[in-house]
Amino acid sequence: MSAQRVHLTLNGSPVDLPTVPDDERLLDSLRWRAGLKGTKEGCRTGGCGACTVLVDGESTLSCLTLTHEVEGSAVTTIEGVADDPVGRRVRDAFRRAGAVQCGYCSPGFVMALTGLLKERGTSVAMDDLLEELSSNLCRCTGYVSIVRAVRLAREANP
Amino acid sequence: MSTIDRPDAGPKLAGEAVYGTDLEAPGMWWGALVLAPVPHGRIRAVDLTAARREPDAVAVGVEDLQDLLGPGERDRERPLFPAEEVVYPSQPVAAVAAPTLAAARRIARAVRVEVDPLPAVSDLESLFPEWPGSNVATSSHIAAHVHAGRGDVERAFRAADTVVRETYRTASVHQVALEPHACLAEVTGSTWKVRTSTQSPFGVREDLASLLGVPEASIVVEGTWVGGGFGGKGSSLLEPYALLLARASGRPVRLALTYREEFLLGRTTLPSVIRLDTAVTDGRISARRVRLLLDVGTSLPGRDFATGYSIGFLLGPYRTPVFEVEGYAVRTNKPPFGPHRAPFAPQCAFAVESHLEEVARRIGVDPAKFKADHLWHEGGTTPMGQAVSGFGLPSALQAARRTQAEWSRAAPAGHGVGVAVGFWSTGTGAGGEARLLLSPTGLTILQGERDIGSGSVEVGLRSVASARTGLPPDRIRVDYLDTSKAPFDTGVFGSRTVGALGRAVDEAAERLLRTLGERLGAKEGARLAVQADQLMATAGTVRRPVSELLTPEERAAGGLAAEGKHYGRSGTIDESLVRDGTFYPYTDFSGAAHVAEVAVDRETGAVRVVRYATFHDVGRVVDEASARAQVEGGVVMGLGTALTEEAMWRDDGRLSNPSLLDYRIPTLTESPPIEVTFVEGFPGAGPSGAKGLGEPPIIPVPAAVASAVRAACGAHVTELPLSGERVARALRLARD
Repeated sequence: MSAQRVHLTLNGSPVDLPTVPDDERLLDSLRWRAGLKGTKEGCRTGGCGACTVLVDGESTLSCLTLTHEVEGSAVTTIEGVADDPVGRRVRDAFRRAGAVQCGYCSPGFVMALTGLLKERGTSVAMDDLLEELSSNLCRCTGYVSIVRAVRLAREANP
Repeated sequence: MSTIDRPDAGPKLAGEAVYGTDLEAPGMWWGALVLAPVPHGRIRAVDLTAARREPDAVAVGVEDLQDLLGPGERDRERPLFPAEEVVYPSQPVAAVAAPTLAAARRIARAVRVEVDPLPAVSDLESLFPEWPGSNVATSSHIAAHVHAGRGDVERAFRAADTVVRETYRTASVHQVALEPHACLAEVTGSTWKVRTSTQSPFGVREDLASLLGVPEASIVVEGTWVGGGFGGKGSSLLEPYALLLARASGRPVRLALTYREEFLLGRTTLPSVIRLDTAVTDGRISARRVRLLLDVGTSLPGRDFATGYSIGFLLGPYRTPVFEVEGYAVRTNKPPFGPHRAPFAPQCAFAVESHLEEVARRIGVDPAKFKADHLWHEGGTTPMGQAVSGFGLPSALQAARRTQAEWSRAAPAGHGVGVAVGFWSTGTGAGGEARLLLSPTGLTILQGERDIGSGSVEVGLRSVASARTGLPPDRIRVDYLDTSKAPFDTGVFGSRTVGALGRAVDEAAERLLRTLGERLGAKEGARLAVQADQLMATAGTVRRPVSELLTPEERAAGGLAAEGKHYGRSGTIDESLVRDGTFYPYTDFSGAAHVAEVAVDRETGAVRVVRYATFHDVGRVVDEASARAQVEGGVVMGLGTALTEEAMWRDDGRLSNPSLLDYRIPTLTESPPIEVTFVEGFPGAGPSGAKGLGEPPIIPVPAAVASAVRAACGAHVTELPLSGERVARALRLARD
């Protein structure tokens, strides 16, 4: 297995990863090379959404993305939306709706919803948002409070 | 909506909370398990020579337990590594560690494991095809037997107007906590330390002492945030392997399961076959016979909790004058049975509720009314002779029947509305202790658990302390200590955290208030309040700042300390009814009635849950938002058990769907609107009469869904889950 250098923009800053094996997943590069562990490792088969990040603004499963595929791209993780107005609005909605229990799915939901709201604005239909978010799993809440959070985040003034 | 803010929500949403999977230490190595290649077989060799020749790696196997365990201990039934026989698929036979995960996995894969395959036993009914006609008691596969009864069952059945005999089957379901098991271990001098994602740091410490032969005083367990537990993280799993690797390498070692391994090695609910016979005379249940075969995998013999506790749930919360219950825990080549949110109770409720609905239909009575007419009442006794204390289920069912009637009137064609009940008991027999520290600025709860997501620690314990002291919750915080510093507690499971640990907090708070009252010169305990940003204590007419009531020593120690403990007591059963095995009494009686409305596709049998309503007897609501959240989450988890979740163990012993893509849990768009109603006023074992609420919400769900499916299309499904295929098959039977 060969290893190559990968350049990307990570949470707004240029990053140079010197020797990334060809089969390394973005999830592992983020967590163990960049030390950004807010992106959670769940099933690693694209079935749970806990590892969701934004690649060039688009909601992406980092467990099914090879690090080499994001060469030259802008990757945003949960740590990168700490001061982002939409990210803050989404987190605030989750907190107010009581949509955080064990919290393991929370960063993935926040990233997926932040990406959708940034891309489509608050005029996006509620049903479309829920359909898109249905690939993120949560085992604690039964989704009731998450739906409430989505509604709050969508309706909040930007 | 939230009554009390959750301090953990912010860090969790920001990705800052550290879970087991996030643990890392300088110089850390990565561990990997070597898994057995067959479900059952005799071990010829687990050859670690090549692994040990690697320059940067360690390998541990059964021989590494030699210096730790005495001769008798090495041969125990559930060793860390089997010496002679592999007994379940993918059983760990060795473990390795290396500087990278890739290297550890490569080395683990290269370990030569030679096992002569033996036939694997997996399916209960192939094992005992004649049951219950045949005598299975003498089989070597029986791990435990429980048997109890009252009166002459045969005679009651002969004399009955109507007899209904049915067989139910339930599937193996997995907890599916999103965070896989993970821990980080380090051995320094004589200290064995592990940081781990667990529901029970003290339970893990006890397990480790027994599995590794190390005294508890040398073991330190520190909890992390837990990415979901649901029972699956209630005892040790990876911790002993990680510690052995840490000892061998002299380094911190991280060990985590992949999600595939999570399915293969997780200890969870296994399949069952349930035979229910009911006799009715003059419209009343005159006798019941309950027989159970429960797969317990490779559970230790004598561990009859699975059958001895569960079998009571097969009688249901119903008055039954004459009965016989008999259950067998059956050993198969699967991982050991383990707790899964209200272990096996949803399956029991599904069987007994569906069965009594069938009984009622046969005699032409409304099923919900038939059940209401037989429910236990406060002041009565259970079939096992235990006095029923505060029990709100009759009120809950009454309310549920009103909703059922209302929804049934409004239901369009193809929809059906069903109702079912379930009961539970708060696990306060497992005790706990807590310490409080009152400083001039606030109150700290010092304890050894972690909040596993339910809010029982972050919100529940703070609510209890707030109600007792009068302090606003924002002046109360929870401190998480490791097992070397924390007061003992059993674990965050069994719906016991608020019930038992909460009582310990409550007692400590009461002591604290008494001390303050004495210092204020009053006979009664003090109350606390915040005034102009200052903590004030009041007793009688005297009111002083807390800062003035603390001694200099207390101030130097961080505040005035008080301790509380609670070891709950269960009621008693009539032991003369027990013929074999152990039956467990309840500590209190909680219950729930659920109403489901479903739409059934008559071609495919696919079931969609349209709306859902719950009525829970909770004794007293401690925190409204957290209580609702427990119900909503439990209901949707139960919808998975009801409709889609099934770990498919093949006849050859292998698991055919160890993946979240093939084992389907409910998704956001499948979650129905859920109405949540609480029934109060029937006190339980917790603080001010609160009852545990972690487990009860999942219990009636499969039964309520099955009842609704039957109402929608006539399909009487006797097997969980109610997959489209099974519903379609039952529909064809109903038509013929």
